[in-house]
Amino acid sequence: MSLVTEVTFSANGREVTVPASAEATLLQVLRLELGLTGTKEGCAEGECGACTVLVDGKPVNSCIMPALAAAGTDVRTVEGLAGPDGLLSPLQQAFVDGFAIQCGFCTPGFLMTLTALVEEDPHPDPAQIKQALSGNLCRCTGYTTIVDAVLAATGNGGRS
Amino acid sequence: MELHSADSLEEALDRLQETGGETQVLAGGTDVMIQNMRHEISPSALLYIGRLDDLRGIAHNGTVDIGPLSTHRMLATDHIVRRVLPALAEAAGSVGGWQTQEVGTVGGNLCNASPAADTAPPLLVAGTRVRLSSQSGVRELPLDEFLLDRRRTARRADELLTGIAAEPCAPGTAEAYLKLGRRSAMEVAIAGVAVRLTLDENDTAVEARVAACSVAPRPFRARATEALLQGSPLDPDSVAEAGLMLVREASPIDDGRASAAYRRRVLPDLLARTIEVCRSRLADRREE
Repeated sequence: MSLVTEVTFSANGREVTVPASAEATLLQVLRLELGLTGTKEGCAEGECGACTVLVDGKPVNSCIMPALAAAGTDVRTVEGLAGPDGLLSPLQQAFVDGFAIQCGFCTPGFLMTLTALVEEDPHPDPAQIKQALSGNLCRCTGYTTIVDAVLAATGNGGRS
Repeated sequence: MELHSADSLEEALDRLQETGGETQVLAGGTDVMIQNMRHEISPSALLYIGRLDDLRGIAHNGTVDIGPLSTHRMLATDHIVRRVLPALAEAAGSVGGWQTQEVGTVGGNLCNASPAADTAPPLLVAGTRVRLSSQSGVRELPLDEFLLDRRRTARRADELLTGIAAEPCAPGTAEAYLKLGRRSAMEVAIAGVAVRLTLDENDTAVEARVAACSVAPRPFRARATEALLQGSPLDPDSVAEAGLMLVREASPIDDGRASAAYRRRVLPDLLARTIEVCRSRLADRREE
């Protein structure tokens, strides 16, 4: 049994140890302790997906994830998507090319969920994309361009 | 508030024995973290059990033994669950989005005891028994006796939910869970109905189990509705009569999602549709 006051995990490949109170969420730790402000707080109750990050490759809502649950895991945020040379990931580039961004607030969350999807299935079809995105809300309602961008980046679901 | 992380079941049970009354058990956190932020709960300590890997996983040993830390995503995608507990897989796949399904646990869904707990109706029709462990021993009880009231279970403060054992669907038996919401994703149920149905060669219901959520203080087995369906040819009249019985067994309230009157209005149709899905699944299987 251990009384937890700090947590150690990998943030975009860099091992970090940060203080964590009982109430601390992974989102708070990422933004306030590590300055990784690419991850956004939307609803703050696990409904909108703006705060989505990958924990061991799986998308989670960091706004309701206890920080200590990230201990020992590999956490990836939108800052970790581009290559070391600054080159955008294919999904990021497709978002830019396809105007799949309006206000941009939801974009990091969408990109993280979609990164997990594409790592699970490199050629998702539109139905899979929509299903995967059911926990990501875009209030500019730019869903069509987002789905199109994923299809452009992944070869149109291996179909048309 | 203090935060403790248990490295073994023994440690967790020790902690609960000493301070169970003031301690909130924390697993995926999809309910607890929000309740904490909203000050709906104010424990003096959190006990994180997410490292107790023995409580995670799904095994088929006659019953389907589901570790309480198994996530909704695991239930929705596990090939055993999809085959022999398809209603549970459907229910788990309908909880929130991918992000919440990856961390929210089935044990948490049951212990949180929301009236709208999606995994409860399928587990109820699967005759599920739960195991509760404490320093004074282990006891098992039917899920129906575990879920007592809104946000209240039979778990004592010194106990931890350590096992969930569900009866798999037998050949000749089909089941389904249908959930009514305003949209098909990210919804808390307005009403949910699970049915497990066994038919004889004349399409008469040999056994029918029915459970519902979001229409009473707790998810419940609808025994009087079941009694009406048992031995019934499931013609429209008898299904409609069972639907009215289900309304009588329910005690819905008005809330932000729907009115009690609306819930009473839709419940018979929801039951009829769920039965229909079971029948078409049985018919498909006969054709195979």
